[in-house]
Amino acid sequence: MESTVPLSFDRAAARKVVQAERRRSTLIDVGVTLATIFAALLMGFVVIALLGKDPVRAYEALLTGPLTRLGRTGRWLELATNLILVGLGVSIAFRARQFSLGGQGQMVAGAIVAALIAIYVPLPPLLGVLLPIAAAMATGFLLGLLPGAMKAYLNANEIVSTLMLNAIVLRLYDYILTFHLKPQGSETTRSLPVQPTAQLPTFYELLGVDLGRFNLGVVLVIVGAVGVWLLLERTPFGFAIRTIGANEKFARYGGIDTRRVIMLAFAAGGAVSALAGVHLLLGVHRRLFLDFVGNIGWDGITVALLARNNPLLVPLSGLFYAYLLVGGDRVEQQAQVGSELVQVIQAVIILLITAQVLGDWIRAWRARAQVEV
Amino acid sequence: MEAISVIFSVAFVAAVLRVSTPLILPALGGLISELGGVINIALEGIMLVAACAGVLVSVWTQSAWLGAIAGVALGMFIALVLAFFHLNLKADLILAAIALNLLASGGTIFVVYLVTGDKSSTSRLVSGQMPFLSDFIPSVRELGDLGRLLDQNILTYAAFVLTALVALFLYRTRTGIHLRAVGENPEAARSVGINVRRMQYLALLLSGMLAALGGVYLSMGYVKFFARDMTGGRGFIALAAIYLGARKPLGVLIAALVFGAAEALSIQLGNLRVPTQLVQIIPYFATLAALVIYAVAQRQRALARQRAFLQSRAARQV
Repeated sequence: MESTVPLSFDRAAARKVVQAERRRSTLIDVGVTLATIFAALLMGFVVIALLGKDPVRAYEALLTGPLTRLGRTGRWLELATNLILVGLGVSIAFRARQFSLGGQGQMVAGAIVAALIAIYVPLPPLLGVLLPIAAAMATGFLLGLLPGAMKAYLNANEIVSTLMLNAIVLRLYDYILTFHLKPQGSETTRSLPVQPTAQLPTFYELLGVDLGRFNLGVVLVIVGAVGVWLLLERTPFGFAIRTIGANEKFARYGGIDTRRVIMLAFAAGGAVSALAGVHLLLGVHRRLFLDFVGNIGWDGITVALLARNNPLLVPLSGLFYAYLLVGGDRVEQQAQVGSELVQVIQAVIILLITAQVLGDWIRAWRARAQVEV
Repeated sequence: MEAISVIFSVAFVAAVLRVSTPLILPALGGLISELGGVINIALEGIMLVAACAGVLVSVWTQSAWLGAIAGVALGMFIALVLAFFHLNLKADLILAAIALNLLASGGTIFVVYLVTGDKSSTSRLVSGQMPFLSDFIPSVRELGDLGRLLDQNILTYAAFVLTALVALFLYRTRTGIHLRAVGENPEAARSVGINVRRMQYLALLLSGMLAALGGVYLSMGYVKFFARDMTGGRGFIALAAIYLGARKPLGVLIAALVFGAAEALSIQLGNLRVPTQLVQIIPYFATLAALVIYAVAQRQRALARQRAFLQSRAARQV
């Protein structure tokens, strides 16, 4: 018997249906994320109230803190710049379902290589900034390539290899700073400042608006977010990454050189994460010192996760996360435990967001409702 | 020369045992979870919570043992939360564990502040300490150098005994073999009737217990107080020891001792104007190398198995 199903169908209509469904799915994700954030904040509120402290005042500090003074707003934006850059880098490898935790090491390595140029090589204005940036990206690329190759070609656990590389880089950084970059006879362990031509100017220096150390490095965020989005959504390489993330076996059967793509996804992520290190060096601190990057590498992972590895949402989640951190510092000044409480709230948010079941439940419930109609 | 004489002193070996204990215990836990296919990245957070709970409960009850029990119980509870989120709520194992580490770091400081009004440590409180060998056999102290070597905390002894027990469990008991089967190939394990989820719960709970013991040792053996973030990345070094030790109990024990020796050495060399950072790097490099060697060996073995299978099939067809 011959098939009676028509072989041609309205492609445009089908595409519209698929796109609408995808939009709704994204909306559910966003809704779940927002609900999670709200639930975690509510939990923090209850905890503060139970401690006999004034939760309203604490939350006022948390939620308005970064906006109460221009300097604090600057601190918020400066911190967000770092978190977004690491978050963008992390999201590339995460999109291919590779757990590269190497952001911290890539930042530090990028900063130190950039510092060698920015401190010791006098360069003309524009080049003075661009060359350290390029050097940092190249360093981050190589530092991502190594665990990427180990994972792709040898199936070596990427979590352990990236953690090891972080540990190695941090100690090398300590060593180079203490024994080579620290000027003779200096009391504190820190390097010389970068050349004037290598500085990313702050907005105070540019426009006279005192936004603290918030600087022109924010351009990196815009270029980075759009660049990573283009890379993931509009190039064959990005398509390969997304396909691998969805189903690695399918990608391989579909003719994608999965090993090469996985390796390069690690490397590309490293290059972007290193931008955060160079931003810290040229824009924020303008020299190296011990514990230069703090916890930014880890926080960047959270930022990528909150944005569900969507490069266009990473800036939003980075702004949100940095807002919480700076607001937490404000609560700290009033209730003494603000930053820890914010840390706990962050942890609860991540934990709830990773629980995939929540979104799935809503989708299943919707699907059932549709069937019944 | 000075460095060499340091390494061969009894005091140094004793120091290695002391600093290795909080690496051996979580590494054994990590090994069980890794072999069960659910690697526990939250070892660090579990240690921290157990260290904190142990100290506070020992202050409250005036009993080191009750403190230790509470620490282990709470550590296992964190592992249970991780297992529940991963196995029931389908949360990503790595990300959920990162969240728990964050929770442990913030939560312990928060609780310590509530109890003591001080955010940095509990050193103002008088907390318990797990006994040393000399608490049971006082004459150990009279043995001179040997005495100093033997007079370790009971949790240090426990670390060595537990290495043997973990090896027995993983290779000589039915449950242990099932657990490893689940880690090796969950579908195959399920097809022969093994309850995969239950095995992975077990793996994570055991890893939580062992990591918690390591945490209890840190705050109630190695020192007698809890300090913020006092685990200092030991949970992650323990993860490295699993791979440096080729995912075998004895290998993990030796790897943890190597990491401990590097740490003890860098403490000693701190006085000798040698860059300690470079000494500390050695075990991390070794782990990277071990990771590569292990992966290559694993592949060779798989290829050999494949070849043997094809040959046997060819032989049968002839």
